[in-house]
This record gives sequence, structure tokens and C-alpha cells, in this order.
Amino acid sequence: MINQQSKLLGILKQQKIIYSLLFLMSPLLSYSQAPTGQLKITFTNSVNNVPIILKDKVYQNPFGEDYTVNKLKYYVGNYSLSESIIKKSKHHYFLVDASAQNNCLTIEVPVGEYNNLGFTLGVDSIDNCSGAQTGALDPINDMFWTWNSGYVFFKLEGFSPSSSADLQRIQYHIGGYKGDNNAATAIQLFPTDQSMIAIKKNTTTEIEVVLHLDDFWNNPHAIKINETPVCMLPGALAKKIASNFNGLFSIKHISYLEEDKN
Amino acid sequence: MKKTKISICILLFIVVALLLMSASNKFGYKQPDPIKLIVPKGWPVPKIDIFAKNKLTEQGFQLGKKLFYDGRLSKDGEISCASCHQNFASFSTFDHDLSHGVENSFTKRNAPALINLAWMKEFHWDGAINHIEVQPLAPITAANEMGETIPNVLHKLRKDSVYLSMFKAAFGDTMINSQRMLKALAQFTGSLVSYNSKYDKVMRGESSYTDYEKRGYQVYKQHCSSCHQEPLFTDNSFRNNGLSLNRFHDIGRQGITNVSSDSLKFKVPTLRNTQRSFPYMHDGRLYSLYDVVEFYRTGIDTSQPTLDKKLKNRISITIKEKNELVHFLYTLTDSSFLNNTRFLPTISAVKRN
Repeated sequence: MINQQSKLLGILKQQKIIYSLLFLMSPLLSYSQAPTGQLKITFTNSVNNVPIILKDKVYQNPFGEDYTVNKLKYYVGNYSLSESIIKKSKHHYFLVDASAQNNCLTIEVPVGEYNNLGFTLGVDSIDNCSGAQTGALDPINDMFWTWNSGYVFFKLEGFSPSSSADLQRIQYHIGGYKGDNNAATAIQLFPTDQSMIAIKKNTTTEIEVVLHLDDFWNNPHAIKINETPVCMLPGALAKKIASNFNGLFSIKHISYLEEDKN
Repeated sequence: MKKTKISICILLFIVVALLLMSASNKFGYKQPDPIKLIVPKGWPVPKIDIFAKNKLTEQGFQLGKKLFYDGRLSKDGEISCASCHQNFASFSTFDHDLSHGVENSFTKRNAPALINLAWMKEFHWDGAINHIEVQPLAPITAANEMGETIPNVLHKLRKDSVYLSMFKAAFGDTMINSQRMLKALAQFTGSLVSYNSKYDKVMRGESSYTDYEKRGYQVYKQHCSSCHQEPLFTDNSFRNNGLSLNRFHDIGRQGITNVSSDSLKFKVPTLRNTQRSFPYMHDGRLYSLYDVVEFYRTGIDTSQPTLDKKLKNRISITIKEKNELVHFLYTLTDSSFLNNTRFLPTISAVKRN
């Protein structure tokens, strides 16, 4: 018993030494870090500039085809400011889900002024083939193709009288990470009034990003429900639909919230 | 001189710190016991380390085994992984052409053997699965296999105190999530290494072939070994071996890649334990090894545009050579693997309600 105690004490003493050494080294470790601020990105999803109401509301696409939205989910990640990737955001994905109360993520970014915000819509190829994952990439989120490994990057489901598919459903599961079929899309957004995105110390910069579903159907490629009600696997069609992703988003609003000094 | 002294001091310090850190960890909980993947002598080192981000431990293996044999992974509680991957059949479906799932449903394929998976890059007959850890998601969620959802499976596991303690033993705490479940399953299936057949013993100089078997080995080397490469007896490639399109219109690899040149290509299966993994081919259409060899001799549909070039003239061997070849294939049966109790369920895991 005494022996064990002294052993424990010995370990504790030695650990103290380690901690004090680490403490002494800490200024060296933090020296290289630039000052940072908080960036909060909020995603909202809209049709005709009005937030989407799931299931009940009937919308019309630019081709005059009626449709409802029952599900809208998509992955975002690899955030950047003025083209410099925020390192910590690499491999950290966020799953935007229109059925969630709110869709916001907060990341720590270097203080500065930036003219654009970037992110990837989709999941990097390496993260499509790295085995079982947790968090946003957990397969329980229903965004993983179990029968043909890989993530669905963007999922839009609903119904439309223009659909010839079973139950008149519309079902767009867009993904694909291999070679030419890679559907991950880099998005770059500039504030509409040409203002800069400022990241300040002790301040949270909140950017509201809006997805305009209207652009899904025709910006720039026409996706007509009566021609293409369903896309369920990677390939040329998914790639074509993904090429409309670039025009889906815009920055609606930037606000600054100073930290309470108390 | 001074500099070296200082660097030695720093090195020593780091070593001591690491030792202490590992010691202090042990006060919290018992670390799982690491085990090593068997890489048999003379075999290539696996190109990808499937356990690089999934530390193989005895506790993880045991948990994976329990999950593998547990019917609760399916909707009706009846179908476990082992229902279609039977240990005595080299973890393939024994004596059924098509593997079958919940509520008497049939699948469209014969479940392949689960051996030497650590040397495999893609899984399933069509290579649909890109990582061993995500493979179980396919059978668990397929309506004609286990017909269950992952959240439901996790819900059932979390209610079982045995699982709670086994997850803790394997991963450090009682959290049960999909990642841990899948990693544990991969630890079990990835550890199924079969390397003790008569062939292996002959190669190691511990046994010798009869003249008949020797001649069969020569037939194999001349006609089969370019695709069923030693020592794994597969090159894990996808090829069209000239089987006719089946009643399910199963186009194989093309269904995954969407490329027409992949039409009717299926993965080259290993020949290890092939005597026990009957019936054969992706849909189990051939029942005996004699049927299989006869198919390559006379049955290949040579009109198929994607037929493997090596098979365009079929395999021309005599009836005598056919018999010799089959007897060589019998020497690939690894009974010590097929009877290994380490891969069998512990009694309590067989059936729990």
C-alpha cells in the first residue's frame, strides 16, 4: 500500500515537472499564432427569397412545373476567406438540413479583411473512402450510399405532378468522388455591396448565406422535372446537376457582434 | 559537445514523459490488448493497412465477433452476418445458390467468402464498397438482406449491458455509435486469414504433393494462375469470364462504374477453401468444381464483347487434366481455419433475446 502510494506520488511529482516544462514552453508554442476572431456562417434555404416550407407548400420552378420540397440536405466544408483555406476546417463538414431549426457553424479564423467567402459543396474524395466516420459524416445521417460507397453531397426530395417517376416523386441525390464524376463544387461568394468581410478580435462576424432553390433548375443548365425527375447515382447527369450548384448561393447579410467585455 | 548533451537530455526527457503518460492512462481503465494481423510468410504485405485508423485489439475483435453473429443487426432478429457468411463455408453461403435475407427474401447473389480481406481493396462481387469498415452498411440496410436501419441497430445494442461493457473494453467508454460498431466488425472480418491449407504446407516444406496433385498444380499454373494469382489465389481484379447474363440482368461492375466496358465483369474470387464455398459464381449457378472447370473448358460464351482476353479460346485442357486440377483445388482447403473456434461465437452470443 505504502509502496503504491509512493509510486503514485512519484508519478505525480514527475508529471508536475512535465507540466511546468510545458508551461515554460507555451509562449513559444503560441508565438506563431496570429490573432483570431470568430466567423459564424448561417445557412438559410429559400425559394423566391422566402424561406422554404417543407412538405405543404407548392412551389413552381422556372419552367412552370409545380413541386414540393420534402427533404433538402447538403454538405458544406473547406471554408476559406479570400481563397486562403481555413486549415481547421479541412475535413470538418457541416450538414445543412432544411428541417433543422437553424443551420449555423462557427469557426476561428485569422483577423483581417477579406473580399470573399468560399466553401465546398460536397465531400472531398479522400473522405469518401476513409471508412466509418462520425459527426456530420456519420452514415446515420442518411447521406451515404450503402450499396455503392460514397456520400450524397446534395439531397433534394419531394413530389411534382410533372414527374413520371413512381408516386410522382422528385429525387435528386447528387454525389460522386471519382475522377470525371467528382461532383464536389467549390463555391465562392462576394458580399453584394462589394464591402469587405472583416474579422476582428473579440468579435463574431456572422455571414448569412442563402441557398436559392430557383437556381437549381436552370442556372445555367436546364433541369426539367418532366425530363429528369430522378438522379440517384454518380455520373454525367449528377455532374451536370452539380454544375448548377455554383449559382445557388449568395451572401445575404453580414453582421458584427462584439463580445461582451464583462 | 554541449549541444549533443542537451539533445540527449531532451530525448531522455521525451522518453520518460511518454512512459509516464502511458502509465498514468492505466489508472483510468484497462487499455485493450493490441493484437497483430497475421501476414503469412511469403505473402505480400497488404497495400493498404486496414487497421491504420482502427487499432486491432483482442477486445475489438471479440466485440466484432459478437456483432457478426448477432441477429439483432437485422429487422426480424433472425438474420446475422453469419447467416450468409457461414464459417464452415469459408464464411460464404453454403449450399444455396442465392443468399437469402429477412422474411424469406432472396438476394440476387451468392455471398462471397470472407477470407484474407486485409489484402482486398474493394468489396462485393462488383467492387461497390471502397472500405472494409463501411461494408456492413450495405447488408444491414438492404431490404432483402437484414432490412434494418443503423439507428435501430444502435438502439438495440445500447439496451444490452453486455454490449455496453464490451464497447467500453474495446474503445474506452460505453458510447455505442456507428463508427465503433463498424470498426469492431472490421476487426473481426479483417482478421479472418486463411493460410494453412495443404498447399501452404507444401510451400513451407512441411508436406508434399502426390503426383496427381502435382500435375493438377501444373495445370493450375498454366491455365488459372494469371487471374487466381498465388498466394492469395486472386488478383482482386474485375473480369468477365463469359457467363451468360442471368435472369436478374446483373451486369456486375458496370452497375457501379456506369462504364459499358465493365459490363458483366465480376471480382475474381479467391480459390482458397473453394471446395467448401460452393456453389460457385456470383449467382451460385454452378454447384461443383467439376462444373466450374467444365464451364471454362466448354461453356464460356465467347461472343461477349467484354469477355476477358485470356478466355477468348476458353481453357483447353483434357478430361484427365480437369480431374487433376480439381484435386489440386482440394489442397487449398484450410481445415484448421474452417474449424478454428476462435472465429466461432462464444456460447452466450449465439442467441440472445
